[in-house]
Amino acid sequence: MTDTPGPDEAAPAEQIGLGAPEAAAPASAHPRNARSWAHKVDRLQPDLREGVRGTNVAGRRLAGPVQGFGKMWQKTYRMNAGPGIAPAEAISIWRKHFSEFWPAGNRFSTPITNITPGDVALLDLRIGGGVKLSTGVFVLYADAESFTLMTPQGHLFAGWITFSAARDGEDTIVQAQALFRAGDPLYELAMPIMHRREDQFWLATLTALGERLGAADPEVEISRTCVDSRRQWRYARNIWHNSAIRSLLQAAADRRKRGNKSGTGQGGTGKDDKS
Amino acid sequence: MPGTCEATTRAMSGAAVIELRGEVDGAAARVLADAYEHAVTADGVATTVVLDFTAVDYINSTGIALIVSVLAKARAERRKVVACGLSAHYREIFDITRLSDYIELFPDLDRAVSQLTGPAA
Repeated sequence: MTDTPGPDEAAPAEQIGLGAPEAAAPASAHPRNARSWAHKVDRLQPDLREGVRGTNVAGRRLAGPVQGFGKMWQKTYRMNAGPGIAPAEAISIWRKHFSEFWPAGNRFSTPITNITPGDVALLDLRIGGGVKLSTGVFVLYADAESFTLMTPQGHLFAGWITFSAARDGEDTIVQAQALFRAGDPLYELAMPIMHRREDQFWLATLTALGERLGAADPEVEISRTCVDSRRQWRYARNIWHNSAIRSLLQAAADRRKRGNKSGTGQGGTGKDDKS
Repeated sequence: MPGTCEATTRAMSGAAVIELRGEVDGAAARVLADAYEHAVTADGVATTVVLDFTAVDYINSTGIALIVSVLAKARAERRKVVACGLSAHYREIFDITRLSDYIELFPDLDRAVSQLTGPAA
């Protein structure tokens, strides 16, 4: 509802149903979802974990859609899971088994088996040519019917993605909605490819999730909106943190190290053998 | 409970003020978009949009995304967005999400408007 008094007419507090003391103090001092939000962190400090390379995250700041370089996009992937599952149950399964629905070749490692506000998940993402991009995500928000992941500096995208479920009539609709910019000019150049890959990724993920939730033939709808077509040149220097470049350099350094070791008869397997 | 967001718009000393009430979540998308259009159309010369959260008691992550969309739209139209009336908890959320890098925060509407229209503005 919108209502517009004339210019410079300040509506009194009573007009919007507040007494003077309430009007002076924010109503949201102790919101009921306070525990659903992560606490503030200046820089990410994840523990190393088995199964992922774990680089390009420690010491990084979080980067939302306003800190990215490229055009701002909102992308929504929706899947009808049918009437047989409640939204909270769908989200509970998704949070507990998040990475199991990912396409093969990508890895996601959290400190525990659920997705909890404040967690830092480490990722190895397949980006083609046998290369894996190592980065992470921060669990910004999680409640019974939604959870949100936010990216650190150097990630392909600067932004967040919210996973949610809600009733639409008798059916439960599950969706992933991302709001992001390409993190730096190099990623922005690659956006046509990244859009396609991201669509394939979430299409496969939501299809696998739908099958787990009991949907007979899950179909995924994709929509894409350009929220801001301007590029933010002040963030061009984000390229310093570019995780793709760093992952390539790290993989090359690891291969060289292994080569040196085998050359001197030390042998051994590097941490990157899995990638 | 979704769908309980309401908005009132008004012009105040050259700023377009959007007073939000209730819950800012996914169901608030239409309310927020309409309020923004109403506010800037009613005062076509307003270069600043003030989002007043004093009467907001709940924001979830989808609500934060909606606020970013308003910010993007305002910036595309070369308007500044400021916020006021956020509780300590939601100020922290604006810090975590780094929205506070782009949206100046004021304790209340009076201070927001006086700062924006005062001699130093």
